[in-house]
Amino acid sequence: MKGMPPARLFLLACRQLWRDARAGELHVLFLALLVAVAASTAIGYFSGRLSDAMQLRATEFLAADLVLQGTAPAEPGQLEAGRSAGLEHASVVEFSSVIATDQDMQLSSVKAVDDTYPLRGELRSADQPYGAETPGGRPGPGEAWAEARLFAALGLQVGDSIEVGRQPLRLTRVLTYEPDRVGDFYSLTPRVVINLADLPATGVIQPGSRVQYRELWRGTPESLASYRSAVEPDLQAHQRLETAKDGNRQIGGALARAERYLNLASLAAILLAGVAVALSATRFATRRLDASALLRCLGLSRHETLALYALQLGLLGLAASLAGVVLGWLAQHALFFLLKDLLAQEIPAGSAWPALAGIATGLVALAGFALPPLAALGRVPPLRVLRRDLLPVPASSWFVYGAALLALGLIMWRLSLDLKITAALLGGGLVATLVLGGLLLLALRGLRRALAGASLHWRLGTGQLLRHPLGAAGQSLAFGLILLAMALIALLRSELLDAWQEQLPDNAPNHFVLNVLPDERDAFAARVGQLATHAAPLYPVVPGRLVAINGEPVRQLVSKDSRGDRATRRDLSLTWSADLPNDNQLLAGRWWSDQPAGELPGVSVESELAESLALQLGDRLTFSVGGIDRETRVTSLREVNWDSFQPNFYMIFEPGTLQDIPATYMTSFYVPPGHERELIELARAFPSVTLLQVDALLAQLRGIIGQVSVAVEFVLLFVLAAGIAVLFAGLQATLDERIRQGALLRALGAGRSLLVRARRTEFALLGASSGVLAALGCELVSLLLYRFAFDLDWQPHPWLLVLPLVGALLVGSAGVLGTRRALEASPLGVLREA
Amino acid sequence: MTAILVARHLSKVVPSAEGALSILEDLSLTLESGDSLAIVGTSGSGKSTLLGLLAGLDLPSGGSVRLAGHSLSELDEDARARVRAEHVGFVFQSFQLLDSLDALENVMLPLELEGRADASSRARALLERVGLGARLRHYPRQLSGGEQQRVAIARAFAADPDILFADEPTGNLDTETGAHITDLLFELNRERGTTLVLVTHDERLARRCQRQLRLEGGRALVAEVLA
Repeated sequence: MKGMPPARLFLLACRQLWRDARAGELHVLFLALLVAVAASTAIGYFSGRLSDAMQLRATEFLAADLVLQGTAPAEPGQLEAGRSAGLEHASVVEFSSVIATDQDMQLSSVKAVDDTYPLRGELRSADQPYGAETPGGRPGPGEAWAEARLFAALGLQVGDSIEVGRQPLRLTRVLTYEPDRVGDFYSLTPRVVINLADLPATGVIQPGSRVQYRELWRGTPESLASYRSAVEPDLQAHQRLETAKDGNRQIGGALARAERYLNLASLAAILLAGVAVALSATRFATRRLDASALLRCLGLSRHETLALYALQLGLLGLAASLAGVVLGWLAQHALFFLLKDLLAQEIPAGSAWPALAGIATGLVALAGFALPPLAALGRVPPLRVLRRDLLPVPASSWFVYGAALLALGLIMWRLSLDLKITAALLGGGLVATLVLGGLLLLALRGLRRALAGASLHWRLGTGQLLRHPLGAAGQSLAFGLILLAMALIALLRSELLDAWQEQLPDNAPNHFVLNVLPDERDAFAARVGQLATHAAPLYPVVPGRLVAINGEPVRQLVSKDSRGDRATRRDLSLTWSADLPNDNQLLAGRWWSDQPAGELPGVSVESELAESLALQLGDRLTFSVGGIDRETRVTSLREVNWDSFQPNFYMIFEPGTLQDIPATYMTSFYVPPGHERELIELARAFPSVTLLQVDALLAQLRGIIGQVSVAVEFVLLFVLAAGIAVLFAGLQATLDERIRQGALLRALGAGRSLLVRARRTEFALLGASSGVLAALGCELVSLLLYRFAFDLDWQPHPWLLVLPLVGALLVGSAGVLGTRRALEASPLGVLREA
Repeated sequence: MTAILVARHLSKVVPSAEGALSILEDLSLTLESGDSLAIVGTSGSGKSTLLGLLAGLDLPSGGSVRLAGHSLSELDEDARARVRAEHVGFVFQSFQLLDSLDALENVMLPLELEGRADASSRARALLERVGLGARLRHYPRQLSGGEQQRVAIARAFAADPDILFADEPTGNLDTETGAHITDLLFELNRERGTTLVLVTHDERLARRCQRQLRLEGGRALVAEVLA
């Protein structure tokens, strides 16, 4: 007989698989794979779609999905590209202009919008200053909507007429909210919205005027992407494309954090599933040692035997993966259905990517964890049919664990695309495994001596563990990993919610104040002090532009569209302060009070901007302030919490540096609801002051965070469910021996209750030691994650000490439940076994 | 008659804690087609080792085995597997049935490995022949020891081997069942003209073979030929 034709081998593999499945041989492995694939698919879909939904919500802050922004009108070709991609379109033109009435005038920022604006979100307006707001609509031709502070500054009423350039317009409503206003509220003059049709008649826009043209687009991700690729290569120097992600730092921060969390949760689910697959694949292989020796006797070559089992596993993996994908897909649908009322908006359907990733996860996990034990099947000596003690030459354990780790790392990296998180998780897990495994072995040795005089069920229960200390250590590690993954996800969840809560405390400032004049400063502070429950200090503000670094013009140093580019194209708000602001953190250098005065005045630079401009401590910066160049030296770098609703600055100067230049002051404060009248009075008393309400933005942000928090809880449940399923799969792997042992003990006259007690002891002990391992491992991994991936402060988590108890209860009850069959084993069974 | 199995100066040495341990020394034998040979001896006398060498499951430290015209020492493991597939059948003390296959499927297995279209009908016929026609769909765990061994015998004869190796075929069975199995083995052996090599403790079983090879400490004591 020549080697077996592949087709026959394949057919044989199918047939064997079918027979094994029918005989109930494959349930465990199939279940483990199913859980792995279903969990990673469901979480993949869920987090993907949720992030799309949040993205969608965040697009409100752009009033569109994508914005083409420039200081000159967009090219006709650029507009045509959008329309032919099937996108909805709106045009917005923004410029500064003096608004005049019969008596007075006020510099304002005017926004001319067409009849399709906004594409995402809505304008909101009131019929009285600080009156109740209603959503929807936009000014028609001949109309203007203005913010309450313009009404206050110019003494206007609704119905009055104002002039924008040469065009008289009637004020019809009070503007209270623009979706796309939030990005730049530091540099604002009162807003007036007019209809785009009135723009030519104003005559305001002349060659050379400073104007922002914004082309708003909305459509499917595919058509947006095709538009993007059509337009992006030929962008003019003055143009750029903006999406929701780069638009708003507060939202961006919340989204990025949620995304990282969801990714991590799916990594944990995969880790769990990996453990399950490893356990059940090993069982698959060991149960086939005899069969593969027999097949060799019957004339199959080593390669054919290997191929036969590889094919079986591959087919099984594929079947389980497909079923898992369907299950995961259904599960995430159910999840969204449950969240329907909370999410209250259209949720994009999601791509095929999570499904493919789910299948790949199943197959890669199977390959990584099942191939090493499978390879052992190929090495079974055929002589084993005569001598059962002959085991295959063991593979180097480095090879076995290396393959599994490689598979795990590959999946994690592919899913998170974050080397740091993967390395922290994998490295931490590995170190924890090695160290704790060693400790555990030592502890088991000690236990053996300590238990010599204990009662029977103790000795029986622990005897099971002590008989194979390595096996027990491995099992305890596996359960420990499960508890670790679940604890880690729970830990990060509360950390995440805390971070959000901190970002948006109930008394987060809901009003920003700009343009407080120096001689009104103290009076204003006193008024705000009476009105507001929480107020930030008043910071002086001087507009100035960074023009040179170490004598070289800065425009030559920055790369296009970088943070540095954006920050040096416009005036920055410069301030000085004797103290480091509360939520800023010094990363390098020293604050003024801790260092001798230098020849040049010092400046403290925000760290991300410093990185983008490649600034070092000691660099010489030249600012153009009020038309005069000023030299400073970088003396410190600061980390700024942009997520906080506090006045934040890129540049803080040493006190005394800018004091000769006229400055205005800014601050922020929190006023509880119900004080609208006092706010109007405040605005009237200080007509030059710009008062910005950010309630709407805060409410929106809270809404998003609320959604994500719910999602996070659900994902946690998912991971828990996966963990428990895996726990059972792990117990199944030890069932054969337990059934044999149970039968033997029954045959020797042991009662059922003794067996139950012994089992309870064994599993509770196993669970408790797993809990200790998990607590230690969780601290180690979280330390690495916080340090290297999340930039969070790490502190010990004392509550992890409950893990041994949780482990004992969970593993104890699951163990007794999962090995029920061993108790039912008939004593006769022992006679059947050779 | 042609020689189907020729062993020349076989020896097997394995490493052990006390240095090299010789389990088989300078053993030669020749079997003609249709012969039956019983290898007997005490535990540890090297019976199973010899069987493994003769069947090509293991390689000798010295000497040679020629099985159905193939010199086993010159073949690699895969080529030896092909020789086994083509010429050899096995019956084991512990039956070695696959737990996940029912009786019929266990017997079909070698036929399926050969890719024979009539696997099912042949296997059925053989199971009928060994008296298990009513238990085709039973799994090994649902069968008694004697029944399991009958399935194993049906499987061994399924692929029409030229030579059948049996390792303590009655070792796990009671006397009466063992006798039935023995009868069955010799009946089939006669019907099909198969050469039979068996290892046994059982003197009655040994006496039914044409020849006996008695091993002690790895050496052949007596090679008797019975009528």
